[in-house]
Amino acid sequence: MDDVLRLDSIHAGYQGAKVLVNLSLEVHPGEVVCVLGANGAGKTTTLLTIAGLLRPMAGQMTFGQEDLLRLPPYRIVERGISLVPEGRQVFPNLTVLENLLLGSYCARARSERQGALEEVYALFPRLRERVQQMAGLLSGGEQQMLAIGRALMSRPRLLLLDEPSLGLAPRLVHAIFDAIGVIAQKGLSILLVEQNARAALSLASRGYVLAHGQVAVAGSTRELQDSPRVKEAFLG
Amino acid sequence: MRPATLAKALAGAGVTGALLVLPFVGSPLVNDWTVRICSLIILAVSWNLALNAGLISLGHSAFWGLGSYAALLSANDLGATLPVSLVIAMLAGSLAGSGLAAVTGSLRGIFFAIATLAFSEILRVVALMTPQFTGGAEGLYLNPTLRPGSTPVTLGVVLGALACLAVSYALSLTRFNIACRAMRSSEETSKMFGINPLPYRVGCLAIAGAMASLAGGLNLWHGGFLDPLVAFDLHVTVLAQIAPIVGGIYTLTGPVVGAVLIVVLSEVTRIWLGASGYSQLILGVLLVVCVLAMPAGLIGLWRNYAQKRAGSGSLEAGHG
Amino acid sequence: MGIYLQLLIDGILLGGLYTLVATGISLSYGVIRVINFAHGEFIMLGAYAAFWAVTLSGLDPLLMLPAIIVGGGLFGYALQRLFIQRILNAPHVNQILLTFGFSLILQNIAAILWTGDLRSAPSVVSYSVTELGPLMVPHSRLVAFTVAVVLVIGMLAWLKWSELGRATRAVAQNHRAALLMGINIHLIYAICFGISASLGAAAGSLMSFLVTISPWMGFPLVVKSFAVVALGGLGSVLGTIVGGFVLGLSETAVSFFIPGGSGWAEGVSFVFLIAILVFRPRGIFGLAVEEDAR
Repeated sequence: MDDVLRLDSIHAGYQGAKVLVNLSLEVHPGEVVCVLGANGAGKTTTLLTIAGLLRPMAGQMTFGQEDLLRLPPYRIVERGISLVPEGRQVFPNLTVLENLLLGSYCARARSERQGALEEVYALFPRLRERVQQMAGLLSGGEQQMLAIGRALMSRPRLLLLDEPSLGLAPRLVHAIFDAIGVIAQKGLSILLVEQNARAALSLASRGYVLAHGQVAVAGSTRELQDSPRVKEAFLG
Repeated sequence: MRPATLAKALAGAGVTGALLVLPFVGSPLVNDWTVRICSLIILAVSWNLALNAGLISLGHSAFWGLGSYAALLSANDLGATLPVSLVIAMLAGSLAGSGLAAVTGSLRGIFFAIATLAFSEILRVVALMTPQFTGGAEGLYLNPTLRPGSTPVTLGVVLGALACLAVSYALSLTRFNIACRAMRSSEETSKMFGINPLPYRVGCLAIAGAMASLAGGLNLWHGGFLDPLVAFDLHVTVLAQIAPIVGGIYTLTGPVVGAVLIVVLSEVTRIWLGASGYSQLILGVLLVVCVLAMPAGLIGLWRNYAQKRAGSGSLEAGHG
Repeated sequence: MGIYLQLLIDGILLGGLYTLVATGISLSYGVIRVINFAHGEFIMLGAYAAFWAVTLSGLDPLLMLPAIIVGGGLFGYALQRLFIQRILNAPHVNQILLTFGFSLILQNIAAILWTGDLRSAPSVVSYSVTELGPLMVPHSRLVAFTVAVVLVIGMLAWLKWSELGRATRAVAQNHRAALLMGINIHLIYAICFGISASLGAAAGSLMSFLVTISPWMGFPLVVKSFAVVALGGLGSVLGTIVGGFVLGLSETAVSFFIPGGSGWAEGVSFVFLIAILVFRPRGIFGLAVEEDAR
């Protein structure tokens, strides 16, 4: 299946303030694409727009043959796009297991629930140990694992990750990125927003640098690493 | 003066003049309508004043009832005249208002609303259960020998409504109004701007309480009878909120427009359809329609219309 | 001793009904964040439905219960989809006024259609009593209590174990994250409002053979439920259950121990409500302070 995510001249924002201006990007099947940029450049807004939490003001947005533009968020999950939001956003008063089961709420994923659960446990053995614990009592790293695991439970074809390393100790950042690497090797497309440019570029094959809601630089990982602009701003 | 401002001033003066003449017409029907419209104006202005500070009151019947009882008891037991009893009523209302504001200091939104509702219900139960003061469920009559006739009472209601409007307008020009509006958007924000919300909260409810109690006191003098169910009737609260919503909340003229409309509407439905159920049903429908379709009320509709007529050209010019 | 036991029984039987009513309010507020002042009218409509069933067909109000539950649920679902849905992000004052408006409309439709006369709908259990030594347990109250308990437990089980119930808890905790799970939150809102309404209607049909029915019977019950919810702590289902029994027992005690107490008992819930809101807004009613005016 040709599940290309394609954003074409997207304009989006919040009441009055336009954040994304004429943004275009693509994610091809099996690719890991990273999005870099300073605070306020529109990285999170891009992901929220794809996930359907924010309705764009203009532009085109498709996934494979499907038009995503007018779909509510729950339909977008059904189409196979799943977002791991910034700040994890686990359900604190639900158990780890309940959080994971919620990940496979949509009809498409519900039938494959048991298999998905085993895969998540294999990826994050820590979660298996804590199935009955309230998610709010987990450490930050464990919550991030839960958030990623929960997104995988929906059997996505495209995973959107928003700042998975935010607020984590370096050791945990490694663990999380290792896991993302494993997920990528299974062939899942990933769109990764990350402050930690070095870690992001180590996983990605391609990337975009956003500035003021527009694509400032785009290219392969190598090209980005060599770009003086990227070097100065993110790797320096 | 711009023509629009002049027209507004003239209209205001005209309405004021007409209201002041009405009590002297001497017709019981005119008096009754005047009292109902003007006391609803007072209630609506009062409710709107509290809402302006973000305080959603579901307890205006408490102030109304307290004012009625204060007027009744001070007249019957102490021989207070109409104006004196009204001052006592207002004192009672402002005391209750400031007390309520102080006690509910940290509550806002829906929780404040529920607290005011409970306050009003408590007063109803207390009034029912203390017949030695209130006559209990049988109620009490105002001593007939004290009643001054309907012209002074009607004039009192008119003057009261004008005074409340004047107070509300004067407040809108001061720092008080700015503080209240800051509290409405968020008490946290107002704290950031160096405004301590509590005094404003107390002040605001003290004034709103005094107004609503004044209306209650005046109605006691108009009707001459009181029992706890009449005094603390939830319907008073409903009227107090529906008039501003229909007219336009957070505005000066909205409550007035709404009050006139509500009284006219409920009279017309009463005459046409008889049973009071219909008039209350229509009030309910009006409430729902206003909230869903025109949350800014008639004044809001009018402003939109006026803005559109002023020309979209100027709007676009200002856009760039 | 016997009299205290009797008070305990009376209080618990009453508390069960309060819990049922309050659970409905708690569910709709906890998930949708809109306080429904028209909940009492669901109770009133449920009571009238039972009354008319008895009057027109001679059926026992208890037999009508399933139909009333379904009808109440559909009514609530429609109300949410058609109206409440539109004011989810409106300022608090609009939300309050909208449900207040519904309350007025439903009360007065009932008053116009069925007059303000007080009515009651006798059931087969209305006139029998079990005597345990000096203790009296009226069957009507016992049956109402049992049904209430079963319904509340059923609702809790649904929340705990069903797919939709789990999704409902997720929506209540973080509705944005729930959207990302592929949950259609508007559907969840409508289902919750429907369940809330059906619990209210069920409570009403149980009350139809316990108390007199009138178009205005609902509103005081709503205010009492606020007290129950506040007592137990918002968002705590267990708390709501405890709160219901605390209120039932307190009212029973007040009407027994204070002369002329049945009148004062009506005020107990309001005193509780103010006292909790004022003295323990953070502790028991945790959300009162956290939640800002929208």
